[in-house]
Order: sequence, then structure tokens, then C-alpha cells
Amino acid sequence: MNASISLREVGRTFGATRALADVDLDLKPGVTGLLGPNGAGKTTLLRLLATALLPTQGRLSVLGLDPEVPAECTRIRRQLGYLPQEVGFPRGFTAFAFVDYIALLKEWTQPPARHAEVRRVLGLVGLSGLGAKRIRAMSGGQRRRVALAQALLGSPPVLILDEPATGVDPEQRVTLRTVLAEIARTSIVVLSTHQTEDVAALCERVVVLDRGRVRYDGLVTDLVAQAAGRVWLADEPDPTASVSWRTGTGRYRNVSAHVRDAAEHVEPSLEDAYLLLRGGSPEYEPSQEVTS
Amino acid sequence: MTTALAPPPPGAAAIRTTFTALAAREMRRLIANPVFLAAAVLTAYALWTGQRITVTEIDSVNPFPAIFLGGFGMIATFWLTRSMRASEPVTSVTPVTLSARTAALCAVATVPFACGCLALLAFLQLHPVGDPVYGAFSHPARIAILAGQILVPALGGPLLGVALGRWMRFPGAALVMFLVLFGWVNLVTALSISHPDSAPVAAARLFAPFAFFTCTGGTSHLTTWRGSPWFFIGWQLALCVIAVLVALLRGAAGQARARIIHALGIMLVTAVIMLVLAATGGFMHAVTA
Repeated sequence: MNASISLREVGRTFGATRALADVDLDLKPGVTGLLGPNGAGKTTLLRLLATALLPTQGRLSVLGLDPEVPAECTRIRRQLGYLPQEVGFPRGFTAFAFVDYIALLKEWTQPPARHAEVRRVLGLVGLSGLGAKRIRAMSGGQRRRVALAQALLGSPPVLILDEPATGVDPEQRVTLRTVLAEIARTSIVVLSTHQTEDVAALCERVVVLDRGRVRYDGLVTDLVAQAAGRVWLADEPDPTASVSWRTGTGRYRNVSAHVRDAAEHVEPSLEDAYLLLRGGSPEYEPSQEVTS
Repeated sequence: MTTALAPPPPGAAAIRTTFTALAAREMRRLIANPVFLAAAVLTAYALWTGQRITVTEIDSVNPFPAIFLGGFGMIATFWLTRSMRASEPVTSVTPVTLSARTAALCAVATVPFACGCLALLAFLQLHPVGDPVYGAFSHPARIAILAGQILVPALGGPLLGVALGRWMRFPGAALVMFLVLFGWVNLVTALSISHPDSAPVAAARLFAPFAFFTCTGGTSHLTTWRGSPWFFIGWQLALCVIAVLVALLRGAAGQARARIIHALGIMLVTAVIMLVLAATGGFMHAVTA
């Protein structure tokens, strides 16, 4: 089995809207972070990887299998864990019952093994004691963790996570990072997030999407290094900076596309590098929004 | 961190095993459904009270299993089918296809069908086929009438619920369907009472998933209406198969979709033939005794 995901000139359109275009990627075991503004095509890319959508252009191969061939698509799904951006839960289900139902759909047919696996994944997301609680009575963060638990069933070789940490408290986020880092030793983990600190803490590699195209694909450390010498603190916002904002200390953090000499430089973060890559333009571009 | 205990089984055997396990799970969910529980209890209650009253015609007691097991069963399976819709982003990328999940939901109709079998046995204990309340029909035809009025609706109603759940977005679709069918059956029954010898009215009465074959019409005489109960069962069963095919059509693609559409065409023709035979068979005129 080819333990990789390969995209060659992959594109996806929804009617007249182009959500992805000419995406070339090779994904290997490890954690790959997906960054980009709203409507950049992150969710569309993840849905393609999760076989929820098929590309309208180019070729996609997951673990050496073609998702456009029904039998191969089923084989991919046997080795896939997917956390969508939004998951609805059936009324009246407990956390255990929901994950158990999904485990059944993932062909865990033997009840003792299935129940043990459900308990294992609920434990991984810190919900061991809440299996019998109705999902409707849970907090948003707990529901998110229930949704994440189903994705972890069977420690799948391919794990696709769309904003897994949304609504999850800081302690649980740290736990989540530990769990994902462990899985990524042998599995391909792709996660989309708006939290650059999650990417910096967890991912070796980052892919930045913008308007459906790959703007950056490389090591997180290399992207951060691009911002060296371009981030500094000052008492006032610098008019030459691409972006500047007031920090908690009362001073202004300035990020510029140009190297600035004779300034109080600070260590750049992934967020600084990301903003620079985006041309120092964090603003939302509704005309590019793609929700499908 | 612990590791997964056992890998899922691969291949075709896994599909069969998963289908069986999934169908069993959905059956348990149906049995725990309050609407279905109410249907089973009300059916039992209707049959129990039926033995305590004087029955002059069989139609005064036998619609209740159809209403409860068929009608309420339809609402219950509609709810069951729709209940996982919100989780579709997750369930749609599992190895079990939407068609397989729909088939598992269709399999739960065996539960109300089994209840219908019990209701039929209880009914035959209370009202043996030799009773005059069945009208002028032969004994086998009386069995056919009961099967068409108790057994097949208990199967067909829940199957229709699955089909509605797969296609209709409106949450009250099953309730609306129940009211429409209930209203239609009452309308054509009323027409049959006023026009017992009319062939078009007989056809309209049989153009429903449930039909009466006898009536006292407020008099002491029992009238046996036109129509063949045997072909009416054929019509009902064709409707059941159509409901299953329509449900399976949702999410089907490629060759599977083409095969379902082809089968649907065959079953529609079969249903029309059965309806025509039901309307033209049996007694040619209403028989009053």
C-alpha cells in the first residue's frame, strides 16, 4: 500500500465558482497544517481528500487508490478518519451511542471489540466519563470532541481534520496535539485551522491556500524564517508596516514586507509569517467565499 | 496512548456482516421509538377491545392495525431515516454506502410486519374466517382480505416512511402523507357506500394502499363490494417494492442507479396491471346479504 496522498493539478468548481485550481501536493505520514483565509478552499480540499467530493479536474490518489473508482473509494474510506467542519448529531444519542454507531458504519461489527474501541477513542479526547451523557446536553467543546472521537476510530492511516480545535479549551487542545502527534508517527494527518499557534505547535509542514491556489507549501520553520527581521515592537504603529496592532503590553507589533533596520526586532511567529505571505492583508474577501 | 484493538474485517464478507449488524441496530432504534411503541400498544388495545364489542362487520375493527402499525409505523421510520441526516458529512464517508444504509432501514419494516402477523393471528382467534361478518367472500378470499388489511400495510407503511425520509426535507412529510391517505381512504369508502355498483368508484377505492371490501352502510345488511382481494394484495406488494426502490434511488449512482430505475419501471407497470385486475376481478356487482 502506497502510504501517501498525491494531488496533480487538482481543481474543483461549484457551478461558476472555482473553489480549487491546479493544486499539486504530495502528503506523507506526519502532520500537515492547512492555513488560509475564509473561502480559500481549505474545506473543499479536505472534502476531496476525505472522498466526500470528487475533483472536477486533475488526478487525486489516496494511498495509491483512485476515489473516482467506487470499489477503490470504499477501500480508501476503510482507512480514513474525517472530522468535518460542522457535524450534526441525532436527537437522543449519547456520546457513546453516536461513536458506536459510526464505528458500526466503519465495519466494526463485533460488539466487544467495537465497544472497547469506542471507549478508547472517547478516552483519547478526554470524554471517558461522559460516554453516557446525551450529546444535546454537552457543551460546544465537548460536542466537538465527540465528533473528533469518531474520526480517531481504528487509528486510521489517513486523518482529515477540519478545524478540530474549534471551541476546545486550552488544556484539551494540548491533549489533542499530543494525540495527533502520536497518530502522525504512522498516519497522514491533514488539519485545517485558523489557529496559527496550533500549526506552529504541531505541524512540520504547512500549506497556505489563497483563492483556491497553493500560495506556500513547505516547512513551518522555513515560512517563519521568511519573516525574520520584518517584525518589531514600537511605541506607535509604524506607517510603513504592512500590519500593526497594539499588544497587551501597550506597545505596537509591526510587521512589514521589507526588512527594517534599527528597530527592536522580535522573534517572528507563524502568524506574522502568514500575514506577510498574505501581503499583510488580513482582511476578509467575501467575493471569494465558497461554502460548499 | 493505546492503539486500536482490532482492524475492521475487509471485503464482501464485511459488507454482509456490517449490513446485518446495522439492520439489527436500526431495529433496536425503531423498537425504542415512542411513536412505534404507541402503535404497537394501540394495536393490541384495539384488538383487545374488539373482542368485547359485538361486531356486525369486520371492517369496524380491522383498520386499526393498518392505522397504527402502517400509519404510525410510517411516521416512526420516517423519523428514524431523517435522524441521521445531520450527521451525513460523517456517515457519507464511511465504507457503508447510502444505499446500504437505506436497505438496512428498509429491513426494519420486518418488525412492524411481525407485529402485523401477531395481530392477524389474534384477529383470526377473535373472528374466525367462518363468521358471517366477512360477507360473501370465500374462506381463502377472507384470509386474503385480512392479509391485505393487516399484514401488508404493516410492511408497506414503514417502507413508505423510509422513502419519504430519504427524499423529503419537510419534517412533517410523513404526518401529511398519513392524513392524505387516511382522508383518501375515507373519501372513496364513502363514495363506495353511496355507489356500491359503480366500477370507477370501485377502482378509486382500490387505488389506495388500504381498502375495505365490505360494509353495512348503516343498515342491518352486509354488502360485499366489487374487487379481487388477491390482486389487491399484488397491487399493495408492488407499492411496497416501489417504496423500497424509490428509497434506494437516493444516493445511487452509475450502473446501480440505472438498474434501480429499470426495476422501478417494471414495478410501476406491474402495479398498474395488478390494480386493473383487482378492480375488474372478484364480484362484478355488490352483493348484499
